[in-house]
Amino acid sequence: MSRLARHGWCVATVLVVPLLVLAGPSPLKLAGIPPAWSVLWLLPWALADGPLSGAFAGVGLGLLLDGLHPGPITQIPALALLGWWWGRLGRQGQQIERSFSLGLLALLGAALLGGSLILQSRLLDPWPIEPALHTWLAQTLLTALLAPLLCSLQLLLWRKQTQGGRG
Amino acid sequence: MQAGRRLRLPALGSLVQAWPWALLVLALLAVRLSKGAVFLDAYALLSRPFWPGSAQGEWVRSAQGLNDQTRLRQLDADNRRLRSLLELQGRGGRELAAAVISRQAGGWWQQLVIGRGELQGLRPGMAVTAPGGLIGRVASVTPTTASVTLLTDPGSRVGVWVARVQRHGLLMGIGTSRPLLRFIEKDPGVRPGDVVVTSPASTLVPPNLTVGVIQSVDDRAAPATEAVVQLSAPVEAVDWVQVRLP
Repeated sequence: MSRLARHGWCVATVLVVPLLVLAGPSPLKLAGIPPAWSVLWLLPWALADGPLSGAFAGVGLGLLLDGLHPGPITQIPALALLGWWWGRLGRQGQQIERSFSLGLLALLGAALLGGSLILQSRLLDPWPIEPALHTWLAQTLLTALLAPLLCSLQLLLWRKQTQGGRG
Repeated sequence: MQAGRRLRLPALGSLVQAWPWALLVLALLAVRLSKGAVFLDAYALLSRPFWPGSAQGEWVRSAQGLNDQTRLRQLDADNRRLRSLLELQGRGGRELAAAVISRQAGGWWQQLVIGRGELQGLRPGMAVTAPGGLIGRVASVTPTTASVTLLTDPGSRVGVWVARVQRHGLLMGIGTSRPLLRFIEKDPGVRPGDVVVTSPASTLVPPNLTVGVIQSVDDRAAPATEAVVQLSAPVEAVDWVQVRLP
């Protein structure tokens, strides 16, 4: 377990996520909304490296991303939960590597992450829900669309690393 | 015989022959009485191709612009002096230009990251403007960068002023490109097209900075009237912003 976390350069790839959040490449936006880059990185990591590593990666990623944004709203609980859940799925039975499965998991993950942000913002300051729903829907759809391509490539890379570690 | 010949009236025939001259005299008389109106109009029509061209127009406009700028500077100086006499917050001493290095105008947070930070004297709370008016406030700073919370961010709250009706309101970001203006009283009398500026009594942002224009008004909103404001600064398009230093 946690073989990936032993490789420093594998852990360092998490830095790509805040960089992508800051750069916000326009071609990869839907109605001005970017995908949930954190979900797209965390999903293959947790599937390849297990629940504990996934949960820790979620917490670390959440800390990194929370630092980039103002306000008290946090992504840590949702990302930690997703990392743990996807890690458990990765350890059970058949390996998850089909495009549809990855897309579906990313869709659920982005929906949960967005839902947690909406819930927190509604509790802190009740502003109109429509803009938040627009953001939630666009981000969830875009993340699910990008997941089969981006997550499968990362999954291949991480599995190669973990198998190399075993051998 | 001689005297009779002198007093003889001109022949009718010669009078008839002289009618063009009579008309000319009448025309000249008309010109004289109308202060040259017909003549001047005719002159204007004939000389139109030789009127001053666009170059002269540009010179005049440029001179007018220079005059306006000078007046504006003078009024600004007067305004600053009077505000300091009244011990109100000023519009800020100088402006610092900063490049936009990250733009997140859509999504869960509406913010910019600019390429100037603590080392250049930026502090949280400073107002950030772009061509068109106020766009937000500095939320946090690092040594070389600063995060700017846009007026559209759900956490943004800025006191504003509608000068036409002289009413205060609170501009609240709601996560869309058009923030919501919530008034304190029920019927403030605002209408679409009214210009919104920062409140002259604001302690958070410099006073009288242009914010935007009221796009629609909801008089039935509870507890008080609400309006949707179209910001005058195009956040999606600006690559450089100005930070107002104290």
